[in-house]
Amino acid sequence: MLFSLTTQELMERPDLWEAVHRLRYKIFVEEMGWSDLQRPDGLEIDQFDHDEAVHQIVIRNGELAGYQRMLPTTRPHLLTEVLADLFEGTPPCGPNVWELTRYAVAPGFRDGKRGVSTVGTELIAGFVEWGLSRNVNQVIIEFEPMWVLRALQLHFLAKPLGYQRTYGNQQVVATLLTFNEHTLQVVRSRRNYSASVLAKGYPDRLGLRRAS
Amino acid sequence: MSQFDRTLEFMDQLQHANTAAAVCEKLLGVTSSFGLTALMAGTVPQPGTPRGQQKDHVLLCDWPGEWLERYVARNYVDHDPVVSHMKQLQAPFQWREASQGIRIDKSSGEVMGDASEFKLRDGMAFPLVTLDGQIVMVSLGGEAVELSEAEFGQVSLVSTYAIGRAMQLHTMAEKTIDHIELTPRERECLQWAAVGKSEWEISQILGISEHTSEKHLLNAKGKLGAVNRVQAVAEAIRRGYIS
Repeated sequence: MLFSLTTQELMERPDLWEAVHRLRYKIFVEEMGWSDLQRPDGLEIDQFDHDEAVHQIVIRNGELAGYQRMLPTTRPHLLTEVLADLFEGTPPCGPNVWELTRYAVAPGFRDGKRGVSTVGTELIAGFVEWGLSRNVNQVIIEFEPMWVLRALQLHFLAKPLGYQRTYGNQQVVATLLTFNEHTLQVVRSRRNYSASVLAKGYPDRLGLRRAS
Repeated sequence: MSQFDRTLEFMDQLQHANTAAAVCEKLLGVTSSFGLTALMAGTVPQPGTPRGQQKDHVLLCDWPGEWLERYVARNYVDHDPVVSHMKQLQAPFQWREASQGIRIDKSSGEVMGDASEFKLRDGMAFPLVTLDGQIVMVSLGGEAVELSEAEFGQVSLVSTYAIGRAMQLHTMAEKTIDHIELTPRERECLQWAAVGKSEWEISQILGISEHTSEKHLLNAKGKLGAVNRVQAVAEAIRRGYIS
């Protein structure tokens, strides 16, 4: 199940809030080596965790398994403020365009050796469903060029926004992905799971395993 | 027109290419300005894959025909230094790095020597990983290859779009085999079966005959490829048809 929470809603749940920022630290600072974001408290927080950010959270067995953050492009976001060398011309923006950042699958949930894990595809199904329900049909993602192939496999319409660049030992290309109902169907059939993944309300307190 | 606009124009054209051959032609149209005039992309066969099956792994191919024949006939895939380099490195590289870096056994030397006979003196190769973790190897070659580092990145990005388009065409041809359509009644019956109701109980709840509820469950079982009702319920839950 994937929960979509505003920053305010996330802050009302200290257990979740801490798990989210700790997972982000673990992955983006410790694994990927984004040292600009280093902090002694082991929590990764930036200026874009503002009141219009949307935090999408996948819970498995009472644990935080996956996370991504959606940012509106109607105000400053990563591409325009931090990664400005990744676009040529004017980057797309508007109420139907959001930026997907901090896509993360917790280490214990990366089941595929090289492929995308089921938590990973749940995050994808989640943002597509979330978008379609609120007239959002495009996301900007700054990802490794490898992901272009996967996006096309899922029948997103993909378009690069600029040249690929090398950051540290990582290649990154800013890409605009456009999606519709057909994309959602393809994502669902690839996952062998045709029901909605977007949950209403709030997850249970972390650490509580639900009897099934 | 800027270099970037040309790239975008190319991607637009790709979206309208409806056969693998058209995708190949578009891609080589872009890469030939860097001396890359031949192309091969496909999933890497396990060593020892029978020759007859090796061609099934090909996604895009515009290799000199005779060279492809020889490559398959002599089972070069198991000795090609470009292939083994790619399996190890899992990053883009130029062919000449592969033949330098690897202790060349007799047959690897032969592969590269033979390749130059077909005007494939150098090239670039890089692996891509699909959603389900399969490796797609992309290899572009030509007689005189001249690439700066930025151009290298650019060629690999446009190639990735081309492979993605080829894979879309591939799945469209296969159609979606995995999609199962359950009727609302079949779904309802399964939902009640999931909470332990018998056929008779289900018929009472839904106001249908016992025979009809049995029929719905049998149909659902068949569609889900299950051997009994327990498996049908489990499969329906896994696929998200019932909860």
